[in-house]
Amino acid sequence: MESSNDVALDIIITNVVAVFRTRCHLNLRTIALEGVNVIYKPEYGKVLMKPRITASIWSSGKIICTGATSEEEAKQGARRLARTLQKLGFKVRFADFKVVNVLAVCSMPFAIRLIDFTKNNRPIASYEPELHPAATYRIKTLKATVQVFSTGSLTVTGPNVQTVATAVEHIYPLLFECQKPLCK
Amino acid sequence: MGPVKAPVLGTGFHTSLGKESRAQTLQNGKRQIHNLGSQLQLNQHCLDTAFNFFKMVVSKHLTRGRKMAHVIAACLYLVCRTEGTPHMLLDLSDLLQVNVYILGKTFLLLARELCINSPAIDPCLYIPRFAHMLEFGEKTHEVSMTALRLLQRMKRDWMHTGRRPSGLCGAALLVAARMHEFRRTVKDVIGVVKVCEATLRKRLTEFEETPTSQLTIDEFMRVDLEEECDPPSFTAGQRKVKLQQLEQELAKKLDEVQGEISSYQDEIETELENSRPRLRGPYAAYAKGTEPLDEVLSQASCSSPMGAEPEVDRELEEIEAVAQQLNQDFICQVIQGEEQGDEQGVEGGTGEATSPLPPRKVGPSLDSILGTLPNAASLGLCEFIQECSAEDTDGVLDDKSERGELDMDGIDDKEIERYILNDKEVQIKTDLWMKQNEEYLREQKEKEERIAKEKEQGTYKEKPKKSSKKREPIRASTASEAIEKMLEQKKISSKINYEVLRDLNSSPAPIAFLDEPPTGTAGRKKLTRRKKQPNKTNLCLANTTSIMGKRLRPLISSTPKKKRAAAQVTPNLTPAATPTRPNMSSPPTPTLTSPGPTLTENSPVAHDEGAEEEEDEVEEEDEVEETCISALQLLGGKEYGCEAEEEEVF
Repeated sequence: MESSNDVALDIIITNVVAVFRTRCHLNLRTIALEGVNVIYKPEYGKVLMKPRITASIWSSGKIICTGATSEEEAKQGARRLARTLQKLGFKVRFADFKVVNVLAVCSMPFAIRLIDFTKNNRPIASYEPELHPAATYRIKTLKATVQVFSTGSLTVTGPNVQTVATAVEHIYPLLFECQKPLCK
Repeated sequence: MGPVKAPVLGTGFHTSLGKESRAQTLQNGKRQIHNLGSQLQLNQHCLDTAFNFFKMVVSKHLTRGRKMAHVIAACLYLVCRTEGTPHMLLDLSDLLQVNVYILGKTFLLLARELCINSPAIDPCLYIPRFAHMLEFGEKTHEVSMTALRLLQRMKRDWMHTGRRPSGLCGAALLVAARMHEFRRTVKDVIGVVKVCEATLRKRLTEFEETPTSQLTIDEFMRVDLEEECDPPSFTAGQRKVKLQQLEQELAKKLDEVQGEISSYQDEIETELENSRPRLRGPYAAYAKGTEPLDEVLSQASCSSPMGAEPEVDRELEEIEAVAQQLNQDFICQVIQGEEQGDEQGVEGGTGEATSPLPPRKVGPSLDSILGTLPNAASLGLCEFIQECSAEDTDGVLDDKSERGELDMDGIDDKEIERYILNDKEVQIKTDLWMKQNEEYLREQKEKEERIAKEKEQGTYKEKPKKSSKKREPIRASTASEAIEKMLEQKKISSKINYEVLRDLNSSPAPIAFLDEPPTGTAGRKKLTRRKKQPNKTNLCLANTTSIMGKRLRPLISSTPKKKRAAAQVTPNLTPAATPTRPNMSSPPTPTLTSPGPTLTENSPVAHDEGAEEEEDEVEEEDEVEETCISALQLLGGKEYGCEAEEEEVF
């Protein structure tokens, strides 16, 4: 879903984080020793596997998958992972799959005056140049956070892809007001 | 420790119980603010404002879970921002030796919660301070003005958004100093401004790229250029995009060139075919053999590198076609393993392909293809390559696995199997891992052994138990003496009206109910312990549940010794006390029904309270004291039960 303005903005999803449960106890040592691309850190009690998706596996059976570029891919990756674990001998079940976080980037065709932008949206937006170069705009209703950079690029994080798109639409008019046309 | 977490039984209850501790917190906070503030040379007005912020923060319970030092620092920084003093968050973090981002987080949160909109930092604020530290002597003011002008120019050129103001100041001051013929090195400036050398250099470079930098000093002071620049990170991004575009264009051109080359090769091939037909014969006979290789090799060495051999040319075409289908990396890997190095000859021929770096995509493939020709000129290699591409057995590239259509449940089993190591590999990995994590494993083993040993000995405890403080019982002959001794031992509450308590000694006051009972707590710890009891007691009581509970707590907390003292003093307590003492969960109603003994119990406890209050300022109203009594009356026996419970809980 793209912005409904005249300009079509490309919202590129860079990362999708999802969790699911296997409903069975997992022996991390077995996974670590018999799997390819596995890093095992016993202090943390988790394991990483990398068939394109990086997963953190806990012995309780909770798994967090990161690195997917779409919700569909996240699900597929999680399934592949579950299958692999199954082959290793655990009685896994694919339960409670949920996409938890989606990170997307988007670029505006104009630069943004951050100080004006922050002034206009006082409590919702915050800008602390000493700490982070971007202004942070948190949309409580959508539970999404938008980081606005002065060059006009945005990073949006939200609980699902739809929210992210809505957040961009929401913030576009606000940014438009405080724009600075880029002189090339 | 923060204020007590109590079940909120009434609106005032929560705050009232924490008042004693609250006062302490505020006092402590004030002291710390003054400490830090004086180190930063903040004036009194600022410190007072900071203290006000702090009071707001405490009342909103935002200090919970946060280090007091962080909260104090954040309050001070808030003041700095609202007043516009030239203090950086970095300064504060230096003083406290805390990570600046942690402080920043706290600061942001407080600003949000208190709805304080602090104005954005203007780097111009820092100039006078840094200029002073750089010791320009008389010319400090002039240098500052120049630096300010530079900064304004930087702002217009979009260098300042998203950057730390201190870095910009540093750059501006450096340039200004040089303009006024002061020799300030980069090292001096970074020592003052607290950024690293790389940042400073980068800012200077960026400024250099703006048109303003081309002006002379005089011109700069007089003229202000109209055009504004784009933010430097944006221009850097644009540059990258342009480079990529260039690369793509070059690649396209190379393709064309390649096409030309191959067409030339075709022509040459046909020519050669016509002129050397006999080569085909033996070659065709040994289609898959290796003998033709030698022949071809000898031919390759003597003929021109531009694919002079007819077979070579033919294979070149085929290989090219194959290569274009396959992933570039894959070919390089396979071929590099095999080719020996006729590359130089090949490279000479495809000079255009190898010249610039960007056409790496097309160049190497051509090179490698042509390079393999002498070595694997036979069809065998072609087929081998084709086989490899088709089978995916090497497992070199992950995305190959993706080529199998993955529908919802369709997962390539072969691929999955690849993820599982075979036994030998498992063995090796186990050994490696064991070696790597030896220490950790050893620690785990020791821990287990220790636990096992302790279990055998029967001394094993799940967790270390907290030792409860044991207090000596007060021995006193009269109630007032008991009160005095208790007061000596315990901290005195500022909330109790001691005068009224004193009067209690003489006569029991009539029962009255509370509205807002303040707390008479002696120690916070006791309050936290007592939390559980009021719950039980309160539930049972009908009307005065909330009030009694509130009252009960402070009374209970302040009277463990008192009770004991009281118990010793008044023997008539025992009939009421004993039935209730062992029976903790007994409902209070039986005690309620026996007001007689409870009344007498009242007095010693009341006396205690009175004595306690005598020694301290008056903060509560009398009415509170009267309700104190009423609570005692109703729950007098209860207290004893609760007391017993207290011991057991810990």
